[in-house]
Amino acid sequence: MKKYYKTIKLTYAISCVALLMVGFSSCGKKDENSPGVEFMPDMYRSPSLEYYSVHTVDGDTLNNAMKPVSGSVARGYLPYAYPNTPEGYEKAGLDLHNPLNSELNRADFEKEGEILFSKFCIHCHGEAGAGDGKVSAKLPGPPPAYDGPLKNLPEGKIFHSITYGKGTMGSHASQLTQEERWKLVYYVQKLQGPKIAPTDSSKIVTSR
Amino acid sequence: MNNQVGQISIKALIALFFSVLICSNILNAQDGEKLFKQNCAVCHSAHTDQMSTGPGLKGVFDRVPKGDWITKWIINNEKLIKSGDAYATKIYAQYGKAAMTVFEGQLNEKDVEAILNYIKTPPVVVSAASGNTSADTSEPSEKTNGIDPLFLILGFIVVLIILLSSLRSVRTSLQNSNNRSEGIEEIPEQTFWKEVKAWLSGHRRLVGVFVIIISFIGMKSCWDACYNIGVYYDYKTQKGYKPEQPIKFSHKLHAGENEIACQYCHSSVEKSRHAGIPSVNICMNCHKAIQKGPQYGEKEIAKIYAANGFDPKTATYDNNIQNPLKWIKIHNLPDHVYFNHSQHVVVGKIECTTCHGNLKEMTVAEQKAPLTMKWCIECHRKTEVVMEGNAYYDRLHKALKEKYAGVQDVKFTVEKIGGLECGKCHY
Repeated sequence: MKKYYKTIKLTYAISCVALLMVGFSSCGKKDENSPGVEFMPDMYRSPSLEYYSVHTVDGDTLNNAMKPVSGSVARGYLPYAYPNTPEGYEKAGLDLHNPLNSELNRADFEKEGEILFSKFCIHCHGEAGAGDGKVSAKLPGPPPAYDGPLKNLPEGKIFHSITYGKGTMGSHASQLTQEERWKLVYYVQKLQGPKIAPTDSSKIVTSR
Repeated sequence: MNNQVGQISIKALIALFFSVLICSNILNAQDGEKLFKQNCAVCHSAHTDQMSTGPGLKGVFDRVPKGDWITKWIINNEKLIKSGDAYATKIYAQYGKAAMTVFEGQLNEKDVEAILNYIKTPPVVVSAASGNTSADTSEPSEKTNGIDPLFLILGFIVVLIILLSSLRSVRTSLQNSNNRSEGIEEIPEQTFWKEVKAWLSGHRRLVGVFVIIISFIGMKSCWDACYNIGVYYDYKTQKGYKPEQPIKFSHKLHAGENEIACQYCHSSVEKSRHAGIPSVNICMNCHKAIQKGPQYGEKEIAKIYAANGFDPKTATYDNNIQNPLKWIKIHNLPDHVYFNHSQHVVVGKIECTTCHGNLKEMTVAEQKAPLTMKWCIECHRKTEVVMEGNAYYDRLHKALKEKYAGVQDVKFTVEKIGGLECGKCHY
C-alpha cells in the first residue's frame, strides 16, 4: 500500500517538473528580445576574444570595433601615395594610372567591375551612372552623371574619389580593395563613353 | 475719357509687365532649381546654413560683396582667387583651401542668374504638423500583446480552488447547524487537504490513470522543450530571436526601398568567414548628407553621430570620440562550429535570403532559420553544387564525373563532396 503511494508521488513529482520546464522554455520563447534558454552559455558567449565584442582585460575595457592602433598594417594593405587634399586629387589625375593589364582582358575587368558597381555604387549613381539611383533622390543633390559633367574625368581621379570620397560621397576604401577599385574604374570608364576632345583650352575636365 | 483709357492701359501694361517679370522670375527659379541640383547641391545647401562639403547658402547675399562678385566666383573661382580679390582669398582660406569646381564653359551668366534666383526664393514650407502626425500614426504599436493564456488558466484554477473551499466551509457550517437543531453529533472541522486526500484514496484507479497520462504528456513536452534549448528559432510559430537594437535600423528601408545591396554594408561577406557588421564610417557614406530619417527624424541618426563624434552643423569630426555601436548579434553559432560566409556565398552561390529570410521586408532583423545542426545537414543533403562554370570545382567535377561514369541521374549534392564530414565544421 505504501509502495503504491510512493509511485504515485514519484510520477506526480516528475510530471510537475516536466510541466515547469515546459512552462519555462515556452515563456523564454515568447520574448523576442531574449534568445531563450541556452545550453552551456559559455559555448555561445565565448571567453576568447571575438570580433565586435567588448572585453575587459586587467580592468581595461577593450572594444574590438575601435580604430586600429596607429602604425598597424592590415594584411594585404597597399600604400596609396596621394594625400586626401585638392593637390593630391589633381596629382592623381595626372600621374595615377590603372595598374591592371587592360590590353589582355579589359572586358573581363569591366564585367567584374559591373558586378561590383551593382553592389557598391548603383544605389546612388544609378544603373547607367546617370546619378538616378534610389538613394540619390534623398541626397541634397544627385551625383553628377558619368556621361555628363564627369565625361572626361581621368582614371586617377576616379580612383582617388573612390578611395577618399568626393563631395557628398564618402570613402569606400574600407569596403573595396585597390584591385576592386581599379576594376570599378574600368566599368566607370565604360559608362563615361568615349572621351570628347576639349573644345577650348580651358579646363572642361571638372573636379567635383 | 481717352486719357483715362490711356492711363488704365498704361497701368495694365505695367501690371502685365510686372506679372510677366514675376512669372519669368519663378520660371527662372524653377530652371535654377534644376541647375542648382545638377551642379551645386552636391556640396551646398541652398536654403539653410547647413555646412556640407561647402557652406550652406542661406543669407549668402548678405555675406558676399555686392555686384557681380558672386557670378564671377561661381563661374571661375580660381581666377578670382588668383586675381587677389580680398573676399575670395579670405573664404578660400576659411574653408580649408578646398577648391570649388570651376564652371567656366559649363554655366553661362544666364544660368548663374537662374541659380542665384533659386537661392533667393525661399522654399515653400510644407506644414510640419501634418507631416509629424502621419509619422506618428505609422509608428508601430508594439505593446498590444494580450495576457499570456497560461496565466489566464492558472488564475482560473486559483479562483476555482478558492470557490471550492469557501463552498465547502459553507456546506459544513450549514450541515452543522442542521445537525445541532436535530441533536446529532457535529461533524468535526476538516481541513481542505484532508478532504482532498480522502477523495483521492477513494478513487485510486482514476487518479493513477490520470497521473500516468499527465506525466507522459509532461515528459513528451519536456523532451520537445529540450530541443528548443539553445535554438533561437521556434519551428511552430516560425518566430525567431528579434532583439531590439541600439539603433532602430530598418532593413526594409535600406535594402528594400533604397535598394542598397546587402554587400554594401556587409562587405566582408565575400572575403571572410564573417559577413561583417558595418563600422560607423560606412553609415556615414550616406548619413553625412542624409541627416533625417522618414520615421524617427534626427533621433536615430544622431546616434551614429554620437558614435563617431560627427557634428552635423559644421560637418566636422571630433577624432577623440570613439564609441562603437554595440549591435546585438542575432545569428550566433557555438564556438565549436566553423561556418564560412565567403565559401557559401562565393563558391556555393547561396543567396543571402536562403538563410536570413527576406530582410527587405523586415523593419527589425529577425532570425529566420533555426541554425541547428539538423538544419545544416538537411540543406547539405539536398542542395546540389553548382559545378558547371564554377572554376573552384573544375578538378573535383572531373574526378566525380569519372567516378560516377555510367550512373544514371546522379546528383552532386554537398553531401557527395564531403559536406557531411564531421571535420568540415567541427575541428
